[in-house]
Amino acid sequence: MKKFVRSGTYLRLRLATGTMFILLGGALLGRVVMLFGLDWHAIPAYVLGLALILLGIWRYREYGMARKNR
Amino acid sequence: MELSAAAKSPTDQPSLRRALTPWGSFAWGYSDVGADIFVGLGLVLGAAAGASNVAFLFAGLVYVCVGLAYTELAATYPVAGGGQYFVLRGLGDIFGFIAGWAVLLDFTIDIVLFAWSCIDYLSKLMPVLAFTVHPWTHFCVVFVVIGGLATLNMIGVRESSAFNEIVSGLDVVSETAILFFGFLFAFRPEILVHTMNADWPTPFQLMNGTSLAIISFVGLESISQAAQETQKPASVIPRTSISLILTILIFALAYSNLALGIQPWTPIPPDQHGHAQALWQYLGSEDNNGAAVQVLASLIPYYGALAALYVPVLGAILLLISSNSGVFGSSRIAYAMSQTQLLPSVFQRVHPKFRTPAVSIMVFCGVALVELVFAALPSLSHASKDLYSRLFRGEDGITFLGDLYAFGAAASYSFVFLALIALRLKEPESPRRFKIPFNIPFRYKGVRVEFPIIGVIGWLGITSILVFTLITHLIGRFAGPSWLLLGLIGYIIYRRRKGLPVFRSQRHDWRTKQVQILRDAGELELMDEYIANVKRNDAERAALKAK
Repeated sequence: MKKFVRSGTYLRLRLATGTMFILLGGALLGRVVMLFGLDWHAIPAYVLGLALILLGIWRYREYGMARKNR
Repeated sequence: MELSAAAKSPTDQPSLRRALTPWGSFAWGYSDVGADIFVGLGLVLGAAAGASNVAFLFAGLVYVCVGLAYTELAATYPVAGGGQYFVLRGLGDIFGFIAGWAVLLDFTIDIVLFAWSCIDYLSKLMPVLAFTVHPWTHFCVVFVVIGGLATLNMIGVRESSAFNEIVSGLDVVSETAILFFGFLFAFRPEILVHTMNADWPTPFQLMNGTSLAIISFVGLESISQAAQETQKPASVIPRTSISLILTILIFALAYSNLALGIQPWTPIPPDQHGHAQALWQYLGSEDNNGAAVQVLASLIPYYGALAALYVPVLGAILLLISSNSGVFGSSRIAYAMSQTQLLPSVFQRVHPKFRTPAVSIMVFCGVALVELVFAALPSLSHASKDLYSRLFRGEDGITFLGDLYAFGAAASYSFVFLALIALRLKEPESPRRFKIPFNIPFRYKGVRVEFPIIGVIGWLGITSILVFTLITHLIGRFAGPSWLLLGLIGYIIYRRRKGLPVFRSQRHDWRTKQVQILRDAGELELMDEYIANVKRNDAERAALKAK
């Protein structure tokens, strides 16, 4: 497990998952805006979308740091 | 002691080995917090109905504030005491005791609640363990599990960090797969909106649900508990904590929205009176609230057939690890509190052969077993059921445990926010590799400090959850404060007998201690920065006095 976490594959996985989270968050926000607009029912979904985007950005940051340290 | 001398002098006590990598630190936290959604989802759906996602949202935003506070404090003070240590350092001995005692309540509940839920998940594969059908069997098995965990901890057997990492990795993949297939095959936004409109709860139910939702986010304590075993804690802890906070928030919001907006591929069975029921009612019922994630996963088209087989096993393993972390955590916190003379020295006593804090393990597992009896009693005897119905509105066993869990968490977290604010003012010289954003800079006693706005928002949020718990949970209202009161009485008697100050604090040389902490953590740059800051701030204070 430790070996895998330090490998180049895991480094690329960070980039892939980061991209996936950002795309998912963006798609969720876009779909919710199209379906409901600024409806209060959608507030949990907006926060979920934002959290996904933030997690994606955080994964990018981790990727950058790990690449710098290699 | 001179700070520069403290920086060079070796410590006389053996310290914990720093072996946790970033992934290990994440897995340690995840195996504790990640298990919470397995328990919390059903309870919140049963209480907050169509507003369950709103309950999770409110509790989740408070949890983000709690998480940021823990991240800053654990990275600044990387020692194994957790919240209790921060409060002791920021607010003094008696508040450190109250926070630690509340955390101890949480850890003992953690042992029972997760062992209980572990058996609930297994009962989906082995119906003989179902609580509603065979309450005595369920009770006996949970009793044996807790006894077994106590024995394993006494002889010093713990699951390895590698095992934690593998189970956590598998669970992240599994939970993501459930959400992915759930949203892909079964989620209908119009059903979500319909459920939110048709089944919106009363304000009382919403408060009840919100107070239960906080239990889905309890366990950040474990990252700060692990701080003393983490490599380069000042930089690793913020990285892993932020990932953990966001992951758990995403899971909680996604699961609650999915549960309210899913179109199940098989009809939902009627309730015990033969009436049709909504999915949230089915998941929140006494039959399913202990294993809601498994039931939800099994209702997803195609993937559900596979999920019904493996989710109970994976959930049970994660819940068992979490229950074990309760046994481990309670004994170690009691040990740490006893070292700072907040608890009697008997809690420091180690087993002569196994070198484990045997007394602490026995005492707090004993408390957990008493809590188990209280939780199971209404199902085991009709007389008790009548009594509970009259006194406590007939709350079921797992809700009783959830009540106390929410109370303990809200009580200790509220003190952690106050400690965060106090430490920002009292110890501005401590280098903070991670600092919560949004601060107001000003000068306090001649030195520049930064006041954390998020600390105040978080404190207001967690205090409101504490108030919700006290308003809506009859057992929690009685049992939680009673636990704190009993502890305080014991504390006063102990400190009086020892001739120690009761309401004031003992003298602590925090500066020397901080230098030793940073040196032992290998954070030598931060240690030098700390010493330089101390000198500069002392000079500024002296200059102010001279004026």
